[in-house]
Amino acid sequence: MTPVFLLGMILLIIGAAAVAFPTKKTYLTRLINLEIAEFGLLLVMLDYDETLALITFLTVSAVSTFIFVRVLEKKECERRGCN
Amino acid sequence: MNGILIVILAAAVLIGTFGAAISKNPFDKLIYLSMIFAGALPFIIEKGYLDMAIAAAVIVPVTTIITLQAVWRCRE
Repeated sequence: MTPVFLLGMILLIIGAAAVAFPTKKTYLTRLINLEIAEFGLLLVMLDYDETLALITFLTVSAVSTFIFVRVLEKKECERRGCN
Repeated sequence: MNGILIVILAAAVLIGTFGAAISKNPFDKLIYLSMIFAGALPFIIEKGYLDMAIAAAVIVPVTTIITLQAVWRCRE
């Protein structure tokens, strides 16, 4: 068990727990906490030498974050009336 | 990699993780996320994936900027 694998697993578990039970229950907190778990998965993939999976995962997670931000921001602003 | 270097980088990653999980302000969380990235990037470079390091160095700040825009738009 290498240090990178251990670190990735710790990040994955803490990130998942932080997404499930956030300190402040807003969508932004959960979305930012999700990136912790993404970094953990990235480190685990790095330990198994999956280069193509790593690049694909990084790109797709960025795109999905973009889409999540657009959708949730629009919904939240409609609810609050801040726009 | 050198042992002391692994300990320092792991400490950076873990401090960033706990800080991002515990803190309540979204701006603080984004700064802690950058700390996680700064700790994780040397592990990628140590494996020899420089193309991966370049892609990560471009994509992760873009994600931060997108999230920052949402934080700024819908702040309390």
